Amino acid sequence: MSYDHYIDQRKLILTVATTGGVHGKDANPNLPEQPAEIARQVRECEKLGAAIVHVHGRDEHGENDPERLQAVNDAIRDRCDDIIIQNTTGGQSPYENRVAGIRTDPPPEMASLDMGPFNRGQHIITEHTRNNIESLAREMHEKGVKPELEVFNNGHLNETYRLIEKDILDPPYYINVILGPGTFTMPRPKNLLNMVENLPAESHFNVLATGPHQLPLTTMGALLGGHVRVGMEDNLYFERGEPAQSNAQLVERSTEIIDRLDRDLATPDEAREMLGME
Amino acid sequence: MTCPYLEYRRSDGDTEFDHERPYCGVTEEFVSPMKADICNDRFEFDHECDCELYKEHVEEVVGEAPADDD
Repeated sequence: MSYDHYIDQRKLILTVATTGGVHGKDANPNLPEQPAEIARQVRECEKLGAAIVHVHGRDEHGENDPERLQAVNDAIRDRCDDIIIQNTTGGQSPYENRVAGIRTDPPPEMASLDMGPFNRGQHIITEHTRNNIESLAREMHEKGVKPELEVFNNGHLNETYRLIEKDILDPPYYINVILGPGTFTMPRPKNLLNMVENLPAESHFNVLATGPHQLPLTTMGALLGGHVRVGMEDNLYFERGEPAQSNAQLVERSTEIIDRLDRDLATPDEAREMLGME
Repeated sequence: MTCPYLEYRRSDGDTEFDHERPYCGVTEEFVSPMKADICNDRFEFDHECDCELYKEHVEEVVGEAPADDD
């Protein structure tokens, strides 16, 4: 994908990441944690034009629990029309826990696939060995789950090429370019340009940027012909010092910007077709 | 063994939640979901090694203890 795709008015896939695994209601009480409240917010975002929802599961204390993905998936299916469910397989729990993201019944249409490890704070690391990544990719392939390739830094792009060369992934490759603190790619416009210029052929890219970088860098991603992910997993604030009221508030702002940039949003069905899911 | 300073409560005095949440008795603040794995010694985490706040607090408490006479 490229600027040409922007000029050609290729449709934009909007993803909402409502919850995540990092923050809780103590950081922003509007962040949804329980299945019913997640589903309510997802429905609002679907009505605004989100085609994909990225999902995490939390227990009754708001702590991470991949086993709760089933309940969240069920609640979203009950309340929403057609939004594509993308479960997480990330996080700091062992592989045996994280694989629950693709073992729901039915399996999700999509799942995240981290391209390598990264640090969280002083002692936490998300441990993704090549062996585990390949095992997840193969099980996704068997189940017909489309992976979103999570590229947290430049090195993870090398790992993406490695998986392509090993013929483990099917094109088109859906690559989530992630910019943020720590071991993520440093959130600067030039770094996003560099990442986009080095993407594999036959790929679509999505931009995820954390905190105050969400608005400018996802907008830049839209101008570069890419797709956009917003939501409270990545950003708890609507403006500096003003906590987000809901995921829909962030989604609505992005839809307005995307519209002003003269790009149309892809429906879930159009997103499926663009990503080779049908 | 979980951290002795970990509690589950609905309120910190300022904010009230529908469910009990992990709360740190050292910082007197709610704990983030990721950090709660350390507090609970989940997976291979050990709060005695992996929590800087716990370590600093224990060092302070030990530092304040009266010296032995001998």
